[in-house]
Amino acid sequence: MSKREIPEINAGSMADIAFLLLIFFLVTTTMDKDAGYLRQIPKKLDIEMEKPPKVEEKNIYEIKINDRQEMFVRDSILPVEEIDNLHRRIKHFFLANRGKGAGERKLNYPYYANITKAVIDGGLAQVNAEIERIEAEMERDPSDYWGQYYELQMNKLSEWEKKQRAFDLYSESGATIMPEIAREAHIRIVPQIGTDYSAFIAIQSEIQRAITEMRDEESMKLFNIKFSTMEKFYEQNKNEDMPTILPLYKERIELLKILFPEKIIEVAPKN
Amino acid sequence: MSKFKKNEGKSAPAINTSSLPDIVFMLLFFFMVATTTKDIDPMVRINNATGVGLTDLTPYKQRSEVDFVYLGKPIVGDASKFDKGVAVQYDGILGNIDKIDEWKSDKYSQKPKGFATPKEKVVTCFKVDEQVPVGILFDAKKELQNADFNTIAYHAAERGNNNGYSIDNN
Repeated sequence: MSKREIPEINAGSMADIAFLLLIFFLVTTTMDKDAGYLRQIPKKLDIEMEKPPKVEEKNIYEIKINDRQEMFVRDSILPVEEIDNLHRRIKHFFLANRGKGAGERKLNYPYYANITKAVIDGGLAQVNAEIERIEAEMERDPSDYWGQYYELQMNKLSEWEKKQRAFDLYSESGATIMPEIAREAHIRIVPQIGTDYSAFIAIQSEIQRAITEMRDEESMKLFNIKFSTMEKFYEQNKNEDMPTILPLYKERIELLKILFPEKIIEVAPKN
Repeated sequence: MSKFKKNEGKSAPAINTSSLPDIVFMLLFFFMVATTTKDIDPMVRINNATGVGLTDLTPYKQRSEVDFVYLGKPIVGDASKFDKGVAVQYDGILGNIDKIDEWKSDKYSQKPKGFATPKEKVVTCFKVDEQVPVGILFDAKKELQNADFNTIAYHAAERGNNNGYSIDNN
């Protein structure tokens, strides 16, 4: 049998097919990314609180904004053109007393507690003793009376354990004191009903910027890698199998979140 | 005698188009990688607010842990039919903000089998026009809080380096 020459396949219509696919994708997809600010809504309360708990003035960073987008931040008016500076002011609020001794503290900024190994051991011992006591009580009195209290103490225990892990990581670099900002210190946004969404987002953006910058700076100092890089990596690969790097990043992220907590209260506008 | 010969009868040589498919395929792959599928057509007009330091919601989307709700002026129809002139788009339906807890509960019960994320961790993402008053968001937050959906996201677009925030103050 003689060899037959295979005729060349005509590829002239390949371009048409590719164009068709291209146009299909152009029509059915969008370019814009979905991104936003993640926030938590507090859990609903079963009991009505008569009075909100009192928080000292120095622990509140209040940002008021009215329906003409005029801002009043802490103790002064902030013109809209200068909203880009808000993150610097928030950072100052957080950092003013960081690492300062009792004598040189500024009175109207949140205080820091010096966490040492002794403080954590003391806290853990106290909670453990309390849990033992409740367990003994629960054996004597099996009614539901102690249940809620027990749960509360267990939460406290896990918080102290978290703090212990964070401290261990922090002290790896040789530090013996971990500065921790006052528990109550928070940022409070007080909008009005008519405040524009864009202005509200601008405030959220500046808060996020301030907190991320502070965490990034601290993270560079401690681990020589940015917090935002670690968080992004962790969020994207959460369900992957990476047994060394993921737990390490998680611990670091937890530590930085304890050092610079993101506590934001959005006050619902009144009618 | 002229130096220039008229090439009569000879047509221009055909351009070689054999690399055209390659070029088009390259474009095609670029768009396939750089874009995401559109899930619904917007029924309200939305100009995005801008901000920095945004959290990317794509991983949440892949795990179907995020539901989008759109707030703005309706593209067709009368805005005055809605509370404060703001229409809320739940998937394909326009409504008022007080339906948000029913819609969320509905969505949650329709999640695929084996979906383990607890109720309070499922994100509700508000895609809101920049002119919408925030009062309506706080109404929504109240409803969500009562229905135990505790995670929300405020949608925004990334702000360019040199532009300011898009605040209209007057």
